[in-house]
Amino acid sequence: MKNLKLLFGKGNSIGQYGMIIALIAILIIFSIATNGLILEPTNIINVFLQYSYILILALGMVMVIIAGHIDLSVGSVAAFTGIIVAQSMSVWHFPVWLAIVLGLAVGAAVGAWQGFWVAFVKVPAFIVTLAGQLIFRGANQIIGNSTSVPVPEDYQPIGAGFLGDFGPDFGFSNGTLILGLVTCLVLIFLEMRGRQRRKKMHAELVPLWVSIVRTGVLVVVTLVATYLFAAGPVGTSIPIVAIILGVLTIIYGFVTKNTIFGRQVYAVGGNANAAVLSGVSARRVNFFVMMNMSVLAAIAGMVFVGYSGASGPADGTGWELDAIAAVFVGGAAVAGGIGTISGSIVGGLVMALLSNGLSLVGLESNRVQIIRGLVLLVAVAFDVYSKSQGRPSLIGGMLKQFQRKDTEQNTVAAQQPRSIEDQPEKVNTP
Amino acid sequence: MRKKLIAGIGLALVAGLALSGCSARGTSGSGDSGSTIEKGDLIGVALPAKTSQNWVLAGAAFKKSIEDAGFKADIQYANAGNPVPDQQGQIQSMVTKGAKAIIIGAADGSQLGTQVSAAKKSGATVIAWDRNILNTKNVDYYVAFNNFKVGQLQAQALLDGMKAKKSSGPYNIELFAGSPDDANATVFFNGAMDVLQPKIDDGTLKVVSGQTSFSKVTTQGWLAQNAQSRMTDILTKSYTSTDLDGVLSPNDTLARAILTATKAAGKDNPVVTGQDSETASIPLIMNGTQYSTIYKNTTEEAQAAIDLVSDLADGKTPETKKDKNNDNGAKVVPAVELTPILVTKENAVEAYEGNDELEALAKQG
Repeated sequence: MKNLKLLFGKGNSIGQYGMIIALIAILIIFSIATNGLILEPTNIINVFLQYSYILILALGMVMVIIAGHIDLSVGSVAAFTGIIVAQSMSVWHFPVWLAIVLGLAVGAAVGAWQGFWVAFVKVPAFIVTLAGQLIFRGANQIIGNSTSVPVPEDYQPIGAGFLGDFGPDFGFSNGTLILGLVTCLVLIFLEMRGRQRRKKMHAELVPLWVSIVRTGVLVVVTLVATYLFAAGPVGTSIPIVAIILGVLTIIYGFVTKNTIFGRQVYAVGGNANAAVLSGVSARRVNFFVMMNMSVLAAIAGMVFVGYSGASGPADGTGWELDAIAAVFVGGAAVAGGIGTISGSIVGGLVMALLSNGLSLVGLESNRVQIIRGLVLLVAVAFDVYSKSQGRPSLIGGMLKQFQRKDTEQNTVAAQQPRSIEDQPEKVNTP
Repeated sequence: MRKKLIAGIGLALVAGLALSGCSARGTSGSGDSGSTIEKGDLIGVALPAKTSQNWVLAGAAFKKSIEDAGFKADIQYANAGNPVPDQQGQIQSMVTKGAKAIIIGAADGSQLGTQVSAAKKSGATVIAWDRNILNTKNVDYYVAFNNFKVGQLQAQALLDGMKAKKSSGPYNIELFAGSPDDANATVFFNGAMDVLQPKIDDGTLKVVSGQTSFSKVTTQGWLAQNAQSRMTDILTKSYTSTDLDGVLSPNDTLARAILTATKAAGKDNPVVTGQDSETASIPLIMNGTQYSTIYKNTTEEAQAAIDLVSDLADGKTPETKKDKNNDNGAKVVPAVELTPILVTKENAVEAYEGNDELEALAKQG
């Protein structure tokens, strides 16, 4: 047992890996129920093609929720960006790269608008983004005349394309293999560098076997994923959208764990007063968190338009709820201050594989919705219960070795600001 | 030591992949071997959300015809809250499950390119049902009612109805069309104008408001309130001293809205056409308030799609038409077109035979 603790990080028990265990359980159950269809390379590739946009939204949503806010406008913002990008190519004949730049700019502008109201006028984010949901949905309908606007074929790969095939044929997608192997090498390199650094600092060193097993597990997961992506029918490989998602996950994982801004987001969400007193600009944090969310919503919208081949009038309806569900299943706290990027990705995958598995079994989509609702409820209830028992959050502790140690313990108990109003902007010191 | 470790692990990975890779690719994509459909194969049917009675009937009709024809059915409705991604997922699942033919009633016909292409690559036959799938070459067939014919039937009914009331013209009429974002709305209107335009030109018909172009007569979103307010405006402006003999309405909902407007203005009921055989309109047809509607037999439409699949399974070439109205932007999709039935008070009971609910309503009237 002690060894297990060493393996998964200090202070965690095996039970804290609830969601990962749930994910594995889902895969096993549906493997049986669908005769292994769910783990067919084709299906895994489809899942990423189908649900990446929700995972991209979850990356931004987890930061919004950590900061103690919520964003209800992401679906409308995604649709708004989608229709502008589609129009720009089909009506104004923009080249693809310019349309993408335009989309990102639209996302940033929308984000700045919402960030302004949240951070400077101090309207609660719930209200600002509820308004945003209406405003940008309406704007989307006006621009698109409530019709679908198709996008040219050379744009579609960003949502529906794959890493191209090249080189000799080994029966796999070569690009995917290389990507997988590089990822493995990087994982090994990082673990070794970490050990070296700790040695230099004369910090406590975990036994070598722990390092090897821990890295080994990650390497095996990467290899399985590589195999699944590489072994699909000819013409398919790792979807471009999955690469986009992977890159964004690494960037945001790094930002939230290792940068000053990232730590400030946790600080503001955990206890805004304390954060402000320690010299954090809550205004700046709130502004950028909201703005960042809209930029990611824009990316999600553009990816979906590529996947669908057209921007439709109903795009984005209900996406905010899927993203929020992924984040909470991934262990974030409603009150803010708690949550991780990796947890949200796992949460999103749980919800995605659940939908996919149930759909493969042939369950009616209305029932799928009920089951997803129950899973969300049970996952969060489980988390709340374990916290009330004095143990640290079950799901929140997940993947904790990737996270700085001080986050939770310092923030869980802190008093939450009742509203935006409570956050002082300036503190006068005598 | 460390370098050896990395090299070792790396080698092991490559070896592992190479060993397991012998039979990896192409197991699930057998597109080249031809798309032979056999009895007992899975037929996927992806339908949009159950937003109207017709779609509910369609599911049951498909289940019956697929099983009667000796295939296995997988029928899925999209969720009403988020229909497009839901339907995309359902079609992908059908492909994964190895469906040999996929029949799609699209939630949004322009947003299924990726799925239809995946279906095609897996060797499945793709059939667009009731609504065409746009901007893709990967649709094999289109099964639907002939909507141009719907417009022609509506126009003819309008002329017949007015003639029955007043034996000779000129007749004062107004025109209504559906929502500009619905591709079918244009086809209905063009079909109707195919019959009406010559009569307008020779003076038999007079559109008093002067609004005759499609862009002027559309009803945004097919919303009743839009049709009602446009009718009211026209009545106030153009019909204070003259009678309105007939109104071309593209469907039943708008027909009822138009009748509400004429009634509120104190006018006699004009001859009003319709479409869809909505349960609210059938009593109005039976008591003479609304003149006509169109019946598209969903069961017949589903059967036509399955007959097509059966033909393919028997190795026969299905009989299809090339109609430029079925151009989806990438190609003219070979179509099986069914003829809708015009329903008036006279033929309602026999037209609805086999549809218990509508038949009962017609008999009550």
